Amino acid sequence: MTSVTIKDVWKYYGKTMAVKELNIEVRDNEFLCLLGPSGCGKSSTLRMLAGLEFISSGEVFFGDLKVNDIPPRDRDIAMVFENYALYPHKTVFENMANPLKLQRMNKTDIKERVVWAAQMLEIEELLQRKPVELSGGQKQRTAIGRAIVREPKVFLFDEPIAHLDAKLRSHMRGELKHLQRRLETTTVYVTHDQLEGMTMADRIAVMHEGVLQQLGTPGEIYNHPVNEFVAGFVGEPPMNFLDCRIEGAGDSASLVYDNMNLALGGEQSRILETKGAAREVRLGIRPDDLTIEMGTDHGLELSAKIFVTEPLGGDMLIEADFGQDRMTIKRKIAELGQPGDACGIAVNSEKLHVFDRDTGEAFF
Amino acid sequence: MASREIVRYKSPARTAFSVLVILFLIIFFVWTVLPLAIMLTSSFKDLLDAFKLPAEGDWGGVGVMFDFKPTGAHYVELFTEKHFGEYMRNSLIASLGSAVVSVFLGSMAAYALSRAEFRGKKDLLFWIISTRMAPVVAVMVPLYVIFRSSGLVGTLPGLILAYTTFNLPFAIWILKGFFDNVPYAIEEAALCDGANRWQALRMIMPLVAPGVGAFIVLCVLFGWNDFLFASIIGSGGAKTLPVATAELVQPVKIQWGSIMAAGVVTTVPMMFLGLLIRRYLVTGLTMGAVRE
Repeated sequence: MTSVTIKDVWKYYGKTMAVKELNIEVRDNEFLCLLGPSGCGKSSTLRMLAGLEFISSGEVFFGDLKVNDIPPRDRDIAMVFENYALYPHKTVFENMANPLKLQRMNKTDIKERVVWAAQMLEIEELLQRKPVELSGGQKQRTAIGRAIVREPKVFLFDEPIAHLDAKLRSHMRGELKHLQRRLETTTVYVTHDQLEGMTMADRIAVMHEGVLQQLGTPGEIYNHPVNEFVAGFVGEPPMNFLDCRIEGAGDSASLVYDNMNLALGGEQSRILETKGAAREVRLGIRPDDLTIEMGTDHGLELSAKIFVTEPLGGDMLIEADFGQDRMTIKRKIAELGQPGDACGIAVNSEKLHVFDRDTGEAFF
Repeated sequence: MASREIVRYKSPARTAFSVLVILFLIIFFVWTVLPLAIMLTSSFKDLLDAFKLPAEGDWGGVGVMFDFKPTGAHYVELFTEKHFGEYMRNSLIASLGSAVVSVFLGSMAAYALSRAEFRGKKDLLFWIISTRMAPVVAVMVPLYVIFRSSGLVGTLPGLILAYTTFNLPFAIWILKGFFDNVPYAIEEAALCDGANRWQALRMIMPLVAPGVGAFIVLCVLFGWNDFLFASIIGSGGAKTLPVATAELVQPVKIQWGSIMAAGVVTTVPMMFLGLLIRRYLVTGLTMGAVRE
């Protein structure tokens, strides 16, 4: 129930830079996801918010209060750890009651709060168990229970569901999102799983090598990635990239790859011209924005050969080779092509992304 | 986890080996238990019975060793005339006191050394353990001089301090191993829950409890069995059991009965202590060694 402002924050471990000039404002009651591969500085950022790491330089505010020099216990935060970090010698009840006990709340109130949280998380019947007697999902619920009993100002989640099995993980995604909406508490959620970020967050901050790449809603991140890294990191299966050459100018530029000639729209061409794009660029297309047709007689832009097909149940992933490159296509098709079969690929030219080949910056 | 069962197949060599093992265990058992048995039985014999021994080679005559009329006279004498009650109390206070002080200070130092990173940490750790490398006798004289000028000679606090000097480095090293095995995230969780450093330390103390328990026993044993410090620094006002026992050897008369009884009185409490915490001792001593 407060905003969190990260202002020009840097973090060094010795001489190693972990976070570089980070600026993020987490709005009141917002669910913000810090997304990035391991070592991108997202956990360091979260730990600085928690007060478990010193801030090398810069400032962090909770509301108007600068918290740089405030120890974790006085920040009014609740954190859920990747490995749950439950107290192994205490029961689920005692684990969840601990934050309240430290606040010197009286016993009846503690019991009331813990039972309330346990009911919400559906772990009432486990209250007298020790952590060793719990499954991964139950441990994780206990850890979340310990966080919510207190109604903190900010929730900090450090990959809380990374170690659960796939089915439980997808279940917990929904639960966590629902819980956060219900409790209306500002939340910062760290994950390396782009799916968690896309499904749960109000806004996503994509980080890479300590630098914030893009901050935006899941839709913005997905549809308008600012650079090649974000484009490649978000989305499953990942975006296809091709090195292309721009031909033509003005309103009628086209992208050329091998024997493919992809005409760009007028606006796309103008953007490339006004932004002064080099001739050599990188084209990005999501697997969903490609269509495929079997056979040689397809009349589509690209002729390719099937490398492998991966049925997903409803959808089909097709990896197809052409030239030296390989593309992944995601389609609903019934027909299973065999490896080596010829096919044609069509590109939805409205959904193209073009990146600078040197800097990785997106033109559109 | 894979099965820990070790599959064995019978072979003549293996059978011969197991016979040898059993033979060795029997000899080892006799070797260790016989002195204790003689001590125990002798403590209940009067002097004449104690020296009734069969002739050499007369195995049939072993029975005479058990042919005696039990008497508790030596024990009564120990606790009435020879003030062994007081010495036992001294032993207990000195060894337990030192154990408690060592574990209290040791756990705090070990916690700090386990959690904090600072320059020269390795050197500091080595310096701490290096104080244990010199034999006790080597520091005896300087220590005596220091203790005498501080008025600690012949007092129980003096003895506790002397034992702590030697227990503390050991405590720091062993307990550091235990703290290293406790995930830091648990304390971080406690800090986020609203605990300060002390409360966080208290939170993880139960996790190192087996180690602490095992260590207390080692400290108690060190103090309880010590003779050197007790005879030099404790001499006079803080006489402990080993010293008192040694004093039973007098120029005119060696009081074998009393010595044996004193031996029993000294041994039995530690045996019970060992039995009582045997389970913890094993988990405690292995816990620090194996990373999970």
